[in-house]
Amino acid sequence: MTDSSSIPAAAIVERPASRPATARLSLAQRKRIGGVARTLTILIVALLFFGPVLWIMLTALKQPRDVYSLSVLFTPTLDNLRAAFASPYFLGSRTLNSLIVTLGTIVLSLPIATAAAYAFSRFRFPGGNAWSLGVLATQFIPPVIVIIPLFIAFRSAGLLDTRLALIIANMSFVVPYSIWMIKGFIDAIPTDMEEAAQIDGASRLRAIWDVVVPMAIPGIATAAIFAFVVSWNEFFYALVLSRQDSVTLQVGLMGARTERGDAWEIMAAMGLVIILPMLILSRYVQKYFVSGLVSGSVR
Amino acid sequence: MHDRVLKYWLIAPALLVIAGTLLYPLVSALWYSLHEWKLSESPTLGPFVGLDNYVLAITDDPDLLNSGWVTLVFTVLSVVCTLTVAMALAVLLAGNTRLEINTRTLLVIPFAMSPALVGVSWRFLLNPEFGGFTAVIGAVIPSLKGASFLADPDLAMAALIICDVWHSAPYFMLMFIGALASLPQETVEAAQVDGASKFRLFFEVILPQLKPVLAIAILLKIIFSLKVLDQVITLTNGGPGTSTETLAHFIYQTAFRWYDVGYAAATAYLLAALMAVFAAIYFQLITERRPA
Repeated sequence: MTDSSSIPAAAIVERPASRPATARLSLAQRKRIGGVARTLTILIVALLFFGPVLWIMLTALKQPRDVYSLSVLFTPTLDNLRAAFASPYFLGSRTLNSLIVTLGTIVLSLPIATAAAYAFSRFRFPGGNAWSLGVLATQFIPPVIVIIPLFIAFRSAGLLDTRLALIIANMSFVVPYSIWMIKGFIDAIPTDMEEAAQIDGASRLRAIWDVVVPMAIPGIATAAIFAFVVSWNEFFYALVLSRQDSVTLQVGLMGARTERGDAWEIMAAMGLVIILPMLILSRYVQKYFVSGLVSGSVR
Repeated sequence: MHDRVLKYWLIAPALLVIAGTLLYPLVSALWYSLHEWKLSESPTLGPFVGLDNYVLAITDDPDLLNSGWVTLVFTVLSVVCTLTVAMALAVLLAGNTRLEINTRTLLVIPFAMSPALVGVSWRFLLNPEFGGFTAVIGAVIPSLKGASFLADPDLAMAALIICDVWHSAPYFMLMFIGALASLPQETVEAAQVDGASKFRLFFEVILPQLKPVLAIAILLKIIFSLKVLDQVITLTNGGPGTSTETLAHFIYQTAFRWYDVGYAAATAYLLAALMAVFAAIYFQLITERRPA
């Protein structure tokens, strides 16, 4: 959709030289102005969308007195991060909780999802599509309804304020989505090779492990990135299910709201830690997220 | 192991997870909704009250009615604004120049940010004294100079919508860019040869062809908006007063602030029923479009 292609070639004709240049802009000039306007618009859009992220990241590195001003020029400092890692904010243990919950969710969910994705891709089930569509349909259940019984169940099991409770809660959305994402990849793998392996005497399970899983690695990796992003970003379940010990980064944000007002320099420091992995992953997110989400995004 | 048995073993762990973390809560919540149960007074289920909770919710709860209205306003405005912005972004950034590609990557970051942090960030940006956004908007629209966005009911709703558009428009932009790329080029070229203006080209040639994608995007965004919660908690917490208290937030407060589990479950079921309507249409559309 470049500008040059949208103008029919026949329309580009030389203007008569006698016409005064100021009377009307030539097509080439108008095109150039259009191009500049477009570039400017794009830059403004980029600023509107990335500016707030940049602002938070810069705030994290400001002196506390600069935080409560609109200054853009400042001497960077790590004081806010240092304060956030100390009591009562414990950014270190929050980060550790977030990492353990996120990685725990991924490690537990992906094998389960891969097995189910394979079965839904290769076998017929009585009821046909209803099974795999049903898996997707579960994601239209609002989290606020799921959390009430989960909270009560975890409370009677003594699992409140544990990382395990958060991992189990996260699996409720990571497993179904991962099944859908990985199934899409397995659908595209031809069955010849696993059949050949079985003719050579391998069991079906062995054929899955030796042939299908290695070929499905891109799909499993995509699901892993997806699982990382949504588990890392999960807030609501963690808010309800944690008190002190299992508080994650997202819930820790709320802890910077003190009675004396919001401690913005602390929130910004936490925000910086939350954003960093997303900055690293954003290229992959753009590449893979969309295909996965279009098939069944609700969260 | 025979395939006929193996296939069930392969899906068994996943079904166990789904049954335990989704179906069990769904059934339990239905059961709770038929009881009176104040968690602050009793750790066990209270007396069976039949449909009383639902009757109360539908006929005699002005707070719930207010939340329904807030949710309706938020949903309509956020769907329209998000998708309009997303389509404009898609048209602007669909190309493959370096600038366009890099800008697209930058735009993914607001979408990859957690809704909770998005809410917190906008709370900061909207601060009347040192908020970056308030400063910018004050320079553009002088009447909003130094406005306390989060202290005024209408401005708080506007803030919630701005924050939501900022967060979700990039996702729908990517969806639309994908759709634009798959349009047959002949129709566009034919219209260009006919000398159609860019404006007419978009509204009369491109947009009609995007209808199926647009329908799916609208439904998805409605479902997203109906259950909006994280940003509400971190940006406005329903306030000022109850002016931004969405249904999900109302249910959350009922369950975990007032510990009225029975009533919370009943109202959660009403929200789920509302979402199920849109989910059903969504499923109809995606199965028509792409026979799975």
